[in-house]
Amino acid sequence: MTITAGPGATTGPDGARTAGTDTATRPTPVGTDPVMTAVHLRPPQRRGMEERFAATDPSPGLDIARHPKVARILHNRRLQFMLILPNQIVFWAVIFLGLLGTVVPGLNFGTAITWYLWFCLVFVMMVVVGRAWCAMCPFGGFAEWIQRRTFWKRTQKALGLGRKVPEPIARYGFLLSVGAFLVLTWIEEFFNIAGPGAPHATSWMVVGIVASALVFFLAFERRSFCRYVCPLSALIGTVGAMGSVAGFRTRDRETCLSCATKDCMRGGTDGYGCPWYTWPGSADSNLACGLCTECYKACPSDNIGLYLQKPLTSVVAPRRRRADVAWAVAILWGLVVFQQVNATNGYASLDSWLIKATHIGYPNPVDYVGIIAAVTALMAGIVWVAQLALARRDLQLPTGGRGFMERVSKFRAFFLPLMYGIIPVVGADYFARQLPKFFKHVPRLVPAIGAWFGHGSTSSSIYHMRLLADPRIVTVQVGVIALGTLAAVATSWRIAGRDLATVSAHPAAARAVAVGLALACGAAAIVLYIAMHAAS
Amino acid sequence: MTIAPDRTTATPGITAGTASPAVTVLVDRCAGCQECVVRCPTEALTMDTGRWVAVADSARCVGCRQCVRTCPFSAITVEGPMLVADRVATQVHLPEHLDGDVSETRRGITTWDEAVAEASRCLSCPDPTCVRGCPTHNDIPGFVAAVRQRDLDEAHRILRRTTFLPDVCSRVCDQAVQCEGSCTWSLAGGTPVAIGALERFITDNAPVPPPALPGTPGATGSADASSAPGEVSASPARRRRVAAPSGTSTAGAPSVAIVGSGPAGIAAAWELLQGGAHVTVFERDAAPGGLLGWGIPDFTLPAAVAERPWDQLQAAGVDLRCSTAVDASGLERLLAEHDAVVLAHGAGMPVRPPIPGVDLAGVEDATSFLQRARTALENGDKLADLDKAATGSPRTAATGSQRTAATVLVLGAGNTAMDVARCARRLGANAICIDWMDPRFAPVRPDELEEARAEGVDVRFSSTVVGLEGTGGTVAVARIARTRQERADRRPVIQQGSDELVPVDHVVLAMGYRLDPELSHDDLGRPFVKQAPELPDRRWTGSGILAAPAPSFARHQPVGRLALARETARVTAALPRRERLWVAGDALVGPSTVVEAMAQGREAARAVLAHRPRRPGAPRPEIAHVVVAYDSVGGRTASCARAVADLLGADGTTVEILPLKQVDTMTLARADLLVLGTWTEGFVVAGVGPSRTTRRWLADLPPIAGLRVATFCTYGVTPRGTLGIMRTLIEARGGEVVAEASMGGRNVLTAAKRFGVTVRTRMRSREAVAS
Repeated sequence: MTITAGPGATTGPDGARTAGTDTATRPTPVGTDPVMTAVHLRPPQRRGMEERFAATDPSPGLDIARHPKVARILHNRRLQFMLILPNQIVFWAVIFLGLLGTVVPGLNFGTAITWYLWFCLVFVMMVVVGRAWCAMCPFGGFAEWIQRRTFWKRTQKALGLGRKVPEPIARYGFLLSVGAFLVLTWIEEFFNIAGPGAPHATSWMVVGIVASALVFFLAFERRSFCRYVCPLSALIGTVGAMGSVAGFRTRDRETCLSCATKDCMRGGTDGYGCPWYTWPGSADSNLACGLCTECYKACPSDNIGLYLQKPLTSVVAPRRRRADVAWAVAILWGLVVFQQVNATNGYASLDSWLIKATHIGYPNPVDYVGIIAAVTALMAGIVWVAQLALARRDLQLPTGGRGFMERVSKFRAFFLPLMYGIIPVVGADYFARQLPKFFKHVPRLVPAIGAWFGHGSTSSSIYHMRLLADPRIVTVQVGVIALGTLAAVATSWRIAGRDLATVSAHPAAARAVAVGLALACGAAAIVLYIAMHAAS
Repeated sequence: MTIAPDRTTATPGITAGTASPAVTVLVDRCAGCQECVVRCPTEALTMDTGRWVAVADSARCVGCRQCVRTCPFSAITVEGPMLVADRVATQVHLPEHLDGDVSETRRGITTWDEAVAEASRCLSCPDPTCVRGCPTHNDIPGFVAAVRQRDLDEAHRILRRTTFLPDVCSRVCDQAVQCEGSCTWSLAGGTPVAIGALERFITDNAPVPPPALPGTPGATGSADASSAPGEVSASPARRRRVAAPSGTSTAGAPSVAIVGSGPAGIAAAWELLQGGAHVTVFERDAAPGGLLGWGIPDFTLPAAVAERPWDQLQAAGVDLRCSTAVDASGLERLLAEHDAVVLAHGAGMPVRPPIPGVDLAGVEDATSFLQRARTALENGDKLADLDKAATGSPRTAATGSQRTAATVLVLGAGNTAMDVARCARRLGANAICIDWMDPRFAPVRPDELEEARAEGVDVRFSSTVVGLEGTGGTVAVARIARTRQERADRRPVIQQGSDELVPVDHVVLAMGYRLDPELSHDDLGRPFVKQAPELPDRRWTGSGILAAPAPSFARHQPVGRLALARETARVTAALPRRERLWVAGDALVGPSTVVEAMAQGREAARAVLAHRPRRPGAPRPEIAHVVVAYDSVGGRTASCARAVADLLGADGTTVEILPLKQVDTMTLARADLLVLGTWTEGFVVAGVGPSRTTRRWLADLPPIAGLRVATFCTYGVTPRGTLGIMRTLIEARGGEVVAEASMGGRNVLTAAKRFGVTVRTRMRSREAVAS
């Protein structure tokens, strides 16, 4: 018997469909594609492939798509729609209630759910899953419905111009997204949106995000907005590396390399090409996997799995350290430090002096940018000194390119791994900063919902209920930071052991510096939280 | 077999000393999928396996930009010049005295040096887009490499794998929208390799070999023609069939009738002959060749070239019966007398404009004019009705002028219209071609237009005839109005009040053809509409043929989509439109081109040879190739399908098992039995039926006349009407459901095995009953 082709074996390495061994008995091979006799693709390069992906490939046992029920759910084209729909309803409610509802921020559903609950939940999802929020995001989701002209179907014609993000911008990867986050945070602080301030401010912010998403989705192809512009994308991408979901990855890389169609990238009958510009065949972290399941649906060989991973794997394991991610970590760290500093007494006097001098209100852009830049520069400076002291004299760097992402230097050889190492403490700091609002005010959601039916009031007891009192909140914050620092110490230790050992003259000292940096960051965050508490 | 690309000889065509193009890989978006690396003709792209991104070596880049077109994530840009030599110019012969001169206008490459220089411009692309652009998929880089190596035999060997008419096609093909339009240079905005001229150079310098009959020494030289069916027998079943008596044909060779002797008929006859079949061809006209004979004048296609295929086919033993028309009842008779019939009668019904005066004397269609003109030119005569002195045409009488040239008005400005006008010029008449389309959008070959104008044909676009007026029953005046057309996809609009009266002596209708309704009223779903699929095969997308803007010399037509549309027609020709009846060429798709007709005729013939159909009364052929197709989500249906496939394959039958998504027309064409498995979609009792994918696939199914299908479904709660829905959809397409089963509960695999046994038994008993 000759079974000529099964799933995953229908294409040979040369891209030709294996037509079987029936030529001896059949007069003419009907159906042999004459094009394929003329195609002689060069074999894909496999040298170094095993080594490159050994550390990052998740174990086959952690592929939850192997379970038939999960496979069925993931194959369902309505899946993402069902994830987006509840959030969509909530955020349109936020927009309308923010504009039309009560002006009391604590009692307005829009402000209450956004700032007391949502922001906190997004951080929890980030740390546990990675880009779970991106899979259910109502902003990108809404724009994508319009771009695709459908809620869930696979359509072939997209609405809009379908441009590609120009190379001069795209070469900086996630840094544009970091910039957008800085701008949005400044706007949010300036107008006191997240305080929460006037509910209509929150509404306008959400409208602004939805509108800009729509503009970008209609101008550019796929999820260019999410990948390059979305203010939260870089934060979720970097902090989400701690998450325990590896995302969609190839089951067998050989099948991917010899795949003649690459439906996961170009789109197939049942799924779109990856909206996030990620190829499951080479994904080595969950950085740019939006968990949208399109590649899983599109794959003609059923060769894509949804993998779990140990926490922190995507921080430690990737062989290729991305410059944009490292700088994003440094800048995001600067931002969260600013947010802590600006709640201290010393800052208040500096800022009021600057406001007088420049006539621009709180927070003054000068110290906003200044503090973030200073912290970022401090991180870079520490690494600079460290590499001067630690780098091997005979260090041979591989030849890099000229672009931002491709450049290779001694500084980068230290900076990139060290910044990856402190991801957990940066993530913990962001999370800790959201905690007070959650613990103090999340019960207000009840009267905020009750207000729809005329049963909510600022005088109700639940409105003033707190899950935790103030000194305890600081304890929890310090605990969170301590946990984050512990994780950062672990990741820095392992990263230094692998990445820095090869470039350092004294591997042990490099490890000590890495761990010391993580500890110092954690200590700084803890000190600032205590100072913030003292100030309030 | 493919000639390995010879890069050392490929390089001389590339100009030296020019600045290299600059290649930039966007590292952020490059996912290291290597689509560009495996396709780069000059190996300028390699992998940096450490970072797993593609790296470009600009010094090796020649600027063909195939990487830009193929990158799924648009992560590559190429700036700078295309490093390729200028195209070798070919001669155009314009006779000084047109009268009666039928010497060929377009000339080929004449010297080996020029041919090698032109061949060296070819990059031997690893994924050649030109091959996809060629309707019959000639291995263009292959024969071009053979030219480079000055090996004409090898070139012919490569060509004959896919074409029987290289000498004809190289002269009549519109390469600008086919191979040359999709050459990687033209997709990048440059000048393509002169593929047509190189193909012609091969046939000009070495004759096209005759059909390689099975059993003759030449047969081994042919890649596709192997032994006659039944000669090589692998299973006892096959031996049994060989022994079975099969009417008049000898030793199990099928007897096939072909209706029509044009390009589609030639290709079908050639392929069938090489496959060992008995071929009888019925031709309505007195001479074979169809359109090749009368449709294309000698100055484009010399008679010697046009007659070559039939000379060779007749010498090889095709039973050609000229002056024999086949009508509907005749077709039934042919089906009863032969094992299979290939309909290749073409589309010969001229389109007649709905204008007053079209029935006047002196108005004729292009077919009859071209036939008369050909005879006249061959004999060195004039056409009587174009000779004013002889006829004393009403207009001549009215104006009183003597012996001035007659004026022939040709309606249309396409290929046929140009041929008509140029024939008229050669017969001493003045010719005016009018076309209502805007010159920017008109489907005319630029070279042909230039030649016609050089020969004095007055070609007018944006004008149309709104009426013909006669004197004494003979056409004398044409009323011509101006038209306006804003966009290519809009109909031209006649401008009121722009009428102009033009005196004419003769009017020829050359506005195109359509399928003769007499012949197409037979429920065969014709004409088949050629169109590019909504979601093309990503191997086509991957080659980059669809990504480029349409080249200007191809009249801004998207060559990739045109090629895909042709491809749908080519593969469709492999499926029978009725049991034992295949249709190919213009008879299938309406007016089309020589090369497409040839490709389809060949495809139909290959299907006949593969399926070994038998006329009623003869034993049915055994099932030799089974396709098991399944749609599975959780994997249960897939394992059932594998169980069935294991059982069916146990006795030596070839079994191909594929997910439903991957079953295309060609897979169906090679199946003797299709086993179709699906999971049952629906909510317990509501909306229960075959899965959405299966239903969509069945709804889009092409005709599968006579294909035997066994269906099964797996279910959770109840299958309800799943099998019935599938049966209805399959039978609507002409399929025959031979077995069906539903499987549920815990023991689906056992049920699947039982089903496999049932199907196998039924297959065997059918054969037994038949024999």
